[in-house]
Amino acid sequence: MTATLPRNKQSLALAVEPAAGKRRLSTAKAMQEAISQRMDRDQSVFVMGEDVGSYGGIFSSTTGLIDRFGPDRVLDTPISETAFIGLGIGAAVEGMRPVVELMFADFFGVCMDQIYNHMAKIHYESGGNVRVPMVLMMAAGGGYSDGAQHSQCLWGTFAHLPGMKVVVPSNPYDAKGLMSAAIDSDDPVVFVFHKGVMGLGWMAKNARSIGAVPEQEYVVPIGKARVAREGTDVTIVTVSLSVHHSLDVAEKLESEGISVEVIDLRSLVPLDREAIVDSVSKTGRLIVVDEDYQSFGLSGEVIAVVAEHDPSLLKRVSRVCVPDVPIPYARELEYAVLPTPARIEAAVRDAVAT
Amino acid sequence: MTPSTTQALTDEGRRALMSTMVLIRTYEEAIRAAYYADKLPAFDIGAGLVPGEMHLSAGQEPVAAGICAHLTPQDALTATHRPHHLAIAHGVALRPMTAEIFGRESGFGHGRGGHMHLFDPSTHFSCSGIIAEGLPPALGQAFAFQRQSTDRVAVAVTGEGAANQGAFHESLNLAALWKLPVVFVVEDNDWGISVPRSHSTSVASNAERAAAYGMPGVRVEDNSVEAIYAAAGQAVARARSGEGPTLIEVHTLRLWGHFEGDAEGYRPDLDSVHEHDPIPIYRDRLLQTGVLADGQYEGMQASAVQRVEDAIDFAKSSATPDPLDHLSYVFCEGVNS
Amino acid sequence: MTDVRFPVMSGAKDATGVIVTWFVESGDEVTPATLIAEVAVDKVDAEVYPQTSGVITLLEQENTEVAQGAVIAQVA
Repeated sequence: MTATLPRNKQSLALAVEPAAGKRRLSTAKAMQEAISQRMDRDQSVFVMGEDVGSYGGIFSSTTGLIDRFGPDRVLDTPISETAFIGLGIGAAVEGMRPVVELMFADFFGVCMDQIYNHMAKIHYESGGNVRVPMVLMMAAGGGYSDGAQHSQCLWGTFAHLPGMKVVVPSNPYDAKGLMSAAIDSDDPVVFVFHKGVMGLGWMAKNARSIGAVPEQEYVVPIGKARVAREGTDVTIVTVSLSVHHSLDVAEKLESEGISVEVIDLRSLVPLDREAIVDSVSKTGRLIVVDEDYQSFGLSGEVIAVVAEHDPSLLKRVSRVCVPDVPIPYARELEYAVLPTPARIEAAVRDAVAT
Repeated sequence: MTPSTTQALTDEGRRALMSTMVLIRTYEEAIRAAYYADKLPAFDIGAGLVPGEMHLSAGQEPVAAGICAHLTPQDALTATHRPHHLAIAHGVALRPMTAEIFGRESGFGHGRGGHMHLFDPSTHFSCSGIIAEGLPPALGQAFAFQRQSTDRVAVAVTGEGAANQGAFHESLNLAALWKLPVVFVVEDNDWGISVPRSHSTSVASNAERAAAYGMPGVRVEDNSVEAIYAAAGQAVARARSGEGPTLIEVHTLRLWGHFEGDAEGYRPDLDSVHEHDPIPIYRDRLLQTGVLADGQYEGMQASAVQRVEDAIDFAKSSATPDPLDHLSYVFCEGVNS
Repeated sequence: MTDVRFPVMSGAKDATGVIVTWFVESGDEVTPATLIAEVAVDKVDAEVYPQTSGVITLLEQENTEVAQGAVIAQVA
């Protein structure tokens, strides 16, 4: 194991959140670019997963990489998540920097031991002597009738278990910056990308899944939220595709004189508690919008952050989440459980009504 | 440990194997004594200097000695919840290992890991408490060694019960498919806790399963350290030369319980199991063939006792971790939040 | 003024495609290195780059049917 080798920071002094510039990419292409640029710079970075090679990843996370780097560095695996995620762990402890794809977050069930009992715990159990500089990326989210086993978000589950960082970019700029930061990090990072923000041609896409992305290499710091929109009446704390829905709602309600502040968490672990508290201190009204399951997860955590800090800050609090139900197939039912703009708008109106 | 090839054992090599096994047994006996010392009369698993579960490897010394004779500290070895024999044979330093078992700050994991989670980066040794899940990371270590253009190998050790876990099958398939320099070692000690192999495994031997995954499978039937040494030599040489993985299953012997405190009421051979103790059997053989001179065995024991007592004394006199420090080491970068 | 055409990707002459994503807007400055669009014919994607530099004018909308080879934008 490359235990206490110092990181060569000289070559990794990347810009932090530079100006976006004019060049636009989809979130998928932004992820590809981040991985590609890191693979150019560091031979120890490689990609592994199901259909990540010539197929380019079923949600286009790795399109084009095999053409540039070859099958030795972009590896299609058998359907053996336990084996190949574990392989990533072992390669990481010996100094490589694997980017491993779990095709759907929903598939964590078949390989969770390697993730939470090994990838996330080896550094701690070894008293900091063994590092696991690995990225585990996974597609998540619903809205296109993929049913209960292929539509989940599940970032709350990963965030709940100690030892792995969890990042959830909502847009192309953050996707590239967080992927670069994740590869750069010596900690294991779970990188969750919502299929609905990838800008795919075969799935209805939100306009903000295409956005300006700097051509240079840069990082978005892990553990820092972003104020996606400033406001004064209500704070929405949210993540991933729900950021876009919240922004759409905020834009609509502006004309009615309702001022909504939208906080894009970007990372769940570490959680930017300060950003949450700062915003709610200002507005006094908190709505958490989370496409993950409602109970025992991210939304409760965000509310607890404020309540522990100072419960008197909260004049109103509510959450818009997927209820505790398997995600249904029929479109009418699926859209009844998702945190849609209509549900978000109703929550905002409710929050400002008193 | 000096790496060896498929060359036949010399007498010096035989004595080295004996000495390794004696050291392991001495160690396990000392840990056992320390474990029970302050838990009795009524056994309280959480009490005493060495709390928690304890899985000792008495009887399985031949596997560790025979395999590790072919490894250098640069080869990786992943072990199970029953790791001590493999750690010792692989050259893991006894002081930090023992301190970790005792939960001290000077342990390998600063007391965070304990006996089932020993990590020694300098010998690429690790172990895990989850059955069969040590195999996939061994694949990754082998993968890295291959990519780094070395002839280093990864040895992944598991039990016969673990050979029915998904991770075992996935790992064998992937290692063979990608021709990784791995040696899989199954320690068949007859018992998955209380369930005998005949009640868990659909085939007579896991060596048969190797064929299903496109790799050679070898079964060593009699817990003979020299037979293990021979099989391991071939397997390690195969891996080093880029020919891919091998599965070795050793029919070994769990002399004591699955864990310390295990009454083993399920075990019909309890009264006679000591008759198959591999250490006196091998000692007698080496004495008969003149490989061991009079007194040499006792010399090995004395040396082992000295080393083990030093390690235990070191552990006992080491500081316990500061409770206020419990959040350290979760991440390399950034505060745990 | 240079035409930017929808690439011919399918042997079937009648096959039409769609512009999946415009990465630029009318009035943007582009160069041959600028990714301007992602198009698809029968689920096969392709990226479109202009041959020249200049200011682009988009002629077709996303998600509408476009014939292969049709002019989808102009660069002046």
